[in-house]
Amino acid sequence: MDGVHDLGGVQGFGPIEIDDDPRPFKHDWEGRMWGINEAVAGGPGWTLDWWRHVRELLLPLDYLTRPYFDQWAQIYAALLIDSHVATLEEVVEGKPRGAGSAGASPMRAEEVRAAAGRTESFRRETGAKPFFGVGQKVIVRSQGTVGHTRLPRYVRGRPGLVHAYRGIYVLPDAKALGRDEAGPLYTIAFQAGDLWPEAAGRRDRVFVDLWERYLEQ
Amino acid sequence: MTTYDSDKVARIHSDLHDHLPSDSALRVKALESLLVAKGLVDSRAVDAWIDLYAEEIGPIRGARVVARAWTDAAFKARLLADGTAAIEEFGYVGHATGHLIAVENTPAIHNLVVCTLCSCYPFAILGMSPGWYKSNEYRARAVRDPRGVLAEFGVEIGADVEVRVWDSTSELRYLVIPQRPAGTESLDEAGLATLVTRNAMIGTALCKAPRTGGG
Repeated sequence: MDGVHDLGGVQGFGPIEIDDDPRPFKHDWEGRMWGINEAVAGGPGWTLDWWRHVRELLLPLDYLTRPYFDQWAQIYAALLIDSHVATLEEVVEGKPRGAGSAGASPMRAEEVRAAAGRTESFRRETGAKPFFGVGQKVIVRSQGTVGHTRLPRYVRGRPGLVHAYRGIYVLPDAKALGRDEAGPLYTIAFQAGDLWPEAAGRRDRVFVDLWERYLEQ
Repeated sequence: MTTYDSDKVARIHSDLHDHLPSDSALRVKALESLLVAKGLVDSRAVDAWIDLYAEEIGPIRGARVVARAWTDAAFKARLLADGTAAIEEFGYVGHATGHLIAVENTPAIHNLVVCTLCSCYPFAILGMSPGWYKSNEYRARAVRDPRGVLAEFGVEIGADVEVRVWDSTSELRYLVIPQRPAGTESLDEAGLATLVTRNAMIGTALCKAPRTGGG
């Protein structure tokens, strides 16, 4: 979607607020939200990419101004309401109005250490072969996408070179719709001057991971 | 069941904007209470996750990996070939490190990592991401003005050095192997690990040799 979340290259932002505070969380509620995200039993049909899309759908004002983990709380509120696990009233009040339990079995404290050592693989073996070869020139598709996508606006329509072929990976555009599809994934290298007018002649490059369906010859 | 309906969720967000309390702590408290009541969250598990990230899972993990890469050429080769398999030698694989790519700084190349579309980060080896990494400013500017961004972090990159910015748009996660500072020949792996900062492994800092002598 063409949303405010797609921030790469957007101009008008000022200096970065650099804070060397080594604490992982400055406020207790930030840690709680992180922990909730790690420990929660998923709702019906929730996927990582749908989760990301639900964040992208925050009102632009909220996306740009609400604190990071505060946005996570709103993602869960929206996920719960959309999937009929909770109502708006329940989310606002923080307590169930009806029978309560959604019938899931949440992660227990004793299971956290093992869970922290697990990782999800997004690689799939479909037998599909990559169309493009390393070193080949490609052009990124110029059209955007209605729903979730991992094709950032700033590379649309731009030429790049295939830097690496990474294998077959779950396609976020489909997973955000609850569908398990996969396709060839590449890392594409873009010359800074092909992306930004002020960067003409600069030797710097930007590397972006892009699925084959985002690319043209 | 989830609808996967963008328009519906946009309307829900509009309702939430109008009805949720403004205070972030209250929002999260209400969410946790509801999830516990619905049987979706056990608060003791939330505590355990917080403890793990406060005490154990942090940038020291990545620092140990980098220090080994500096001292063991065969390990560095494995790290560059398959980042996930290499960090599993330390038992560090976990959240968002299933497809880890290590990129190496050299006298000719400086690497910088960003996620312009959200805030993807290799949590299991770097711990919680810093606030600036998640900021709109960093996400917008890192791909367009990397040298300006680096200057704000106090890092000046020569015009003859290529800056490579890695935008984490897939489930691949990037770890920068910083350059080993000169004058550290006498340090062992553990000593070297103390020189490797979180920011250096994102690309917004260089590693510096420890100051010697008194004063």
